[in-house]
Amino acid sequence: MVMTRRAFLLGTGGALALSLVLLKCKKTDVATDRPAAPYAERVPDVRYRGFEDVYRNQWKWDSVAKGTHFVNCWYQRGCNWNVYVKDGLVWREEQSGTYDQIDPKIPDYNPRGCQKGACYSERMYDESRLRHPLKRVGERGAGQWKRVSWDEALNDIADKTIDAMISSDGPGSVIWDQGTAQTNGGAGVAMMRTSLVLDTPVLDVNTEIGDHRPGAAVTIGKMVFCSSSDDLFFSDLVFIWGGNPIYTQIPNAHFITEARYNGAKVITIAPDYSASSIHADQWVPVKVATDAALGLAMAHVMIEDGIYNRKFVQEQTDLPLLVRVDNGRFLRESDMKPGGAEDRFYFHDQNAKTIELAPQKTLALDNRDPALEGEFEVQTTSGTVKVTPVFSRLRQHLRQYAPEKAMAICGVAPETIRGLAHDLAKARAATCITQSNFSKFYHGIEMERAQILCFALAGQMGRKGAGYMSFPYLSIDAVDGLGVATGQQSPKLALAALGLKMAPELIKAKFKGYTTEMTTFELGRQEYRHGAFPASLLWLYHQAGMEDTYGRSEKWDPAMKRPLDSYMKEAVAKGWQMQPSDRPRIFFEAGGNILRRFRAFDKVADRLLPALDLMVTIDWRMSNTALYSDYVLPAAAWYEKDDITWATPLSPFSQVITRAAEPIAEAKPDWEIHCLILKTIQRRAAERGIKSFKDRRGVERPFDVYDEFTFGGRYTENNVTEFLDLLLELSTNVGDANWEKIKKKGFQRFTALGENSYMNVGNATDVKENEPITAGLWHTEKKMPWPTLTRRMQFCIDHPFYEELGEVLPVHKDQPNIGGDYPLYLTGGHTRWSIHSTWRDQRHMQQLNRGQPVIYISVEDAAARGIKDGDQVRLFNDISSTELMAKVAAAHRPGQVTVYHAWEPFMSKGRTTYTSVTPNPINPLQLAGGYFHIQARPAEFAPGSTDRATKVQIEKVH
Amino acid sequence: MAMNEKNIIGRELEGTLHKPSRQLAMVFDLNKCLGCHTCSISCKRQWTRDEGMEQQWWAVVNTQPGLGTPKNWEHLGGGWDAKGEPRPSNIPTRDEFGDAWKFNKDEVFHGGKGKVTYLKPVTTKGEAPDWGPNWDEDEGGGEYPNSHFFYLPRICNHCTHPACLEACPRGAIYKRADDGIVLINDKQCKGFRFCMEACPYKRIYYNHVRDVGQKCIFCFPRVEKGVAPACARQCPGRLRFVGYLDDENGPIHKLVHKFKVALPLHQEYGTQPNVYYVPPLSPPSVDMNGRVDPSRPRIPLEYLEGLFGPRVKEVLALLEAEKAKKAKGQPSELMDLLIVYKWPNDIFPDFVRDPAEL
Repeated sequence: MVMTRRAFLLGTGGALALSLVLLKCKKTDVATDRPAAPYAERVPDVRYRGFEDVYRNQWKWDSVAKGTHFVNCWYQRGCNWNVYVKDGLVWREEQSGTYDQIDPKIPDYNPRGCQKGACYSERMYDESRLRHPLKRVGERGAGQWKRVSWDEALNDIADKTIDAMISSDGPGSVIWDQGTAQTNGGAGVAMMRTSLVLDTPVLDVNTEIGDHRPGAAVTIGKMVFCSSSDDLFFSDLVFIWGGNPIYTQIPNAHFITEARYNGAKVITIAPDYSASSIHADQWVPVKVATDAALGLAMAHVMIEDGIYNRKFVQEQTDLPLLVRVDNGRFLRESDMKPGGAEDRFYFHDQNAKTIELAPQKTLALDNRDPALEGEFEVQTTSGTVKVTPVFSRLRQHLRQYAPEKAMAICGVAPETIRGLAHDLAKARAATCITQSNFSKFYHGIEMERAQILCFALAGQMGRKGAGYMSFPYLSIDAVDGLGVATGQQSPKLALAALGLKMAPELIKAKFKGYTTEMTTFELGRQEYRHGAFPASLLWLYHQAGMEDTYGRSEKWDPAMKRPLDSYMKEAVAKGWQMQPSDRPRIFFEAGGNILRRFRAFDKVADRLLPALDLMVTIDWRMSNTALYSDYVLPAAAWYEKDDITWATPLSPFSQVITRAAEPIAEAKPDWEIHCLILKTIQRRAAERGIKSFKDRRGVERPFDVYDEFTFGGRYTENNVTEFLDLLLELSTNVGDANWEKIKKKGFQRFTALGENSYMNVGNATDVKENEPITAGLWHTEKKMPWPTLTRRMQFCIDHPFYEELGEVLPVHKDQPNIGGDYPLYLTGGHTRWSIHSTWRDQRHMQQLNRGQPVIYISVEDAAARGIKDGDQVRLFNDISSTELMAKVAAAHRPGQVTVYHAWEPFMSKGRTTYTSVTPNPINPLQLAGGYFHIQARPAEFAPGSTDRATKVQIEKVH
Repeated sequence: MAMNEKNIIGRELEGTLHKPSRQLAMVFDLNKCLGCHTCSISCKRQWTRDEGMEQQWWAVVNTQPGLGTPKNWEHLGGGWDAKGEPRPSNIPTRDEFGDAWKFNKDEVFHGGKGKVTYLKPVTTKGEAPDWGPNWDEDEGGGEYPNSHFFYLPRICNHCTHPACLEACPRGAIYKRADDGIVLINDKQCKGFRFCMEACPYKRIYYNHVRDVGQKCIFCFPRVEKGVAPACARQCPGRLRFVGYLDDENGPIHKLVHKFKVALPLHQEYGTQPNVYYVPPLSPPSVDMNGRVDPSRPRIPLEYLEGLFGPRVKEVLALLEAEKAKKAKGQPSELMDLLIVYKWPNDIFPDFVRDPAEL
């Protein structure tokens, strides 16, 4: 190929003749033939090009250590990284890419990781990083600080904490938030143990965050239920419905695109043409907040067209169980005979032609053929009663969702609805990728119920490649026990003592025929009553003045016949929900960020902060909560400490961070910080001659809190790796992993759900070495009952609150005008550019979007308001207002505006954010309890957030 | 035909551009790109961290349709036209690329002024930004409900006929004989920036502090040691194939030459790029109620042809046909190739080394 001279013109004209460059082709031994040896050896004599060596020499490091990111990416979490250190500072990180392929016919998990993890090495040293303990000297939030020593800070904090604990307010007045940085896996158990020894409450944040999957929970008895990401490869149909995995499951998303190449049909259902629609085979535009109507219409079609999976429905659901025709309530054994059980139900066996008690301890039907239709007469203790299967009643009920009628609600055409229903029923194996989106809608319970109903009718649950994915959780199982093991003895003895303490309850449970899950959850319900983990929203309602915001649901919800307060009082009186009764005096924020995360956080700040004697934030960066604190204690960054993370089945590996570099300046690992706080409390109490405090049950407890926390001095701030080793030893689901092994490899694939985990057990399946994890096999293959009142996937909920609000069977309810009578829905989702607020103000993430809060607006809505892309707009409603920059997107649906989450308030003029306009009303249905599985317990069945689809207006800021 | 000429500094030149003995290439499967920018960040944390490089993004990902990085690059010129004449162009400015913004964190966190302050991005010139390297993310083209967009990752294409190389009067740009990697010798570079004019893909950046042009180096220090380039190795979407064009057993050759599903971007620029793209499928058009219209592709065919040339339609049809085979339980070598069962062997078979093991 020969060049002739070329002239390149400059913009201003005038040719400048440019010359050609000589390219000498260096002759090597094998210049023209294709060499056989590997690259590096083929070219032994790389021609000396001085400048090339500059780049070669940049690519060097002193040491490598395993690491990961200790943050709550939840559905996408769990990535194994190598951390490269140069001259004692972290230089950069890169995914290890060393997950073993478990089956050559399935794509492997490598490399995992995302852009946020890939720049943590920059984040941990940027201007947000906290280096020294700070004490506020100006107004809260002013940003006026005095640098103090650790000793000064700890002494003051300890003294104030002691004062609060021994006052009449007691330890209940000292509140901890673990937020979304809660670590749970290893040293993170420090938060639990600190609260255990001080008897101070830890906010149960899961419901407040809106991750509690309330619809799934009331239907299947638990929120935790999820397969591994690679299980998708067995699906031939994948729904992405109520989630945006292209944004929020970055390391897992390749399993979706690869399943698609493997022949799966991917269908995305979303109001906007979301990022998760672009690689789908079909996108279904649905009106905001109408997914229940769509799901119920699909269910209607499956029933009317006779394409539902009869066997599955008979065996795994409550649809064959008999309910009274007059009032829709279950026929119970207590109806049929005096002293009969409240939790035994009936079906009509078409083989035996009799009505029988439905088995409670197994789902196996043997040769019974429970009727799904028909009306029968039974003799109850109060006379003759007509009964019919739930299925029959449901069928009647679903007629209102015939596709032609449903279209008026959800905007989806009848033929499209029929197509979806047929696809789902006919699929060999269908997976529903749903994340925590619907959980955050006011009527989210109904949305999730409708989705699960479709999957149950289609029999797409508990099979390889088939299932509705609910909340993912899978972690080392020693943590739960060690979080609550008391006394100063060795952990093993403490656990044994805990076991003995729990034994009577375990025996009782066994006697009742409870499965392991049921037993675990029952213990959780009892524990929850003692108030160690108050649901955040209940605490905010009762003790932080938010009842006037979260608690005025009747203002927005036309279906309510009495105020929310009335439901709340009833729920508390009946023991369904607990009522935090201690006024807050001291607030510890340990890694979370309540003054960003709480909906209408600015109202919380106005009400809560003046009431506090002390607010302390422990973090490695200046968050908004830190900015408003009295003391800020600098924590070690994630590459500066040793720990084990919690995990999920989506990425079923226990992963570790290791101390690749030393904590900078005066930063300390949080394990150490907890030790020091307790040590100081113990010392100060002794110095002040204060021997004990009264715990929240009125029992006197000594102030030897550090001794108890450290198991009698066995595991202190000086030997955390021994503690981590112990955790691994005591865990039953990490094989033979110990700290040395896992430190080198970085991760360990789980070998089982584990015998001791309150959360893991919900996945209800065995973990096999060479297979993906498929949730629910214990139910479908082993016929283990579901942990619900009826022991089945339950679609009829005859609870008085559900009856009062007309939601016994799944329904669609219109989204109330929460926020006022405004024309636009404010929807949300998790951002691509940060994990919560952790990276929101990191320079690279900033630069790859717009460096400031943005709101997505449709072309039509922007044009109607004279708004152009890049304009400042004011987002407002009856509650509040905030300013953001407009992004005008053809992909966005008219009538819908979206703000992706976690903007720090200090990134906005006036320090308000999009959550300032969300009054977040509590749905009274989420206060229900006393219904076996529907009863508050840690992380579930307590009221959650409802910010999605708040009504708003926008206008251009001139 | 050899020509005896001298360049500006009097160096004697032979004037023939020899083909390298082997050419490294990449294939990006646009059906797997998530728009996550892990590639961009990997490259940044590896190479563009020094002073003067803050606004450099050697690996970019743009939402298409969109103005891209730098702004409106597809219409800035460079390269050659159909007759082989150089197309006039301007040097893209720092603002067009998207400056590295600064934030007033100290003022907000430690300034003691409270609520009146908040974080505000400002450019080097002290102005509020109106463009950035990913400014028009997720907006797309078309009209709801038939808007369309996909993500287009781009690096230097290490072209076979690089316009930048030809344009440099100092001969500071060269193409390596053993692997075809094109490099700017930034010791020889004097910051004239003719290369920035000449490159039609606008993948060369200017370093204000050192007064040199800089661009993607195909991670040659890694590649020499059998480690895949950072952008490829760190991509969680598993869509960046790396290998030699001539390796008949490797994925690059198969995608480009055997199955011919990997197409060059803007081939009409005449530089013969060595980064290829598997064009994106998209869900079919719908009406406002979701009724599918299979006759109308969502992404207009002309748009994709404008990017990847006239073979787009047949490539998309082939992808659909092979997907359909898999759906029926039949084998498909092409689908298996694009799936990537075992990483890193199936995606960059010659670069499987773990850098941490070096």
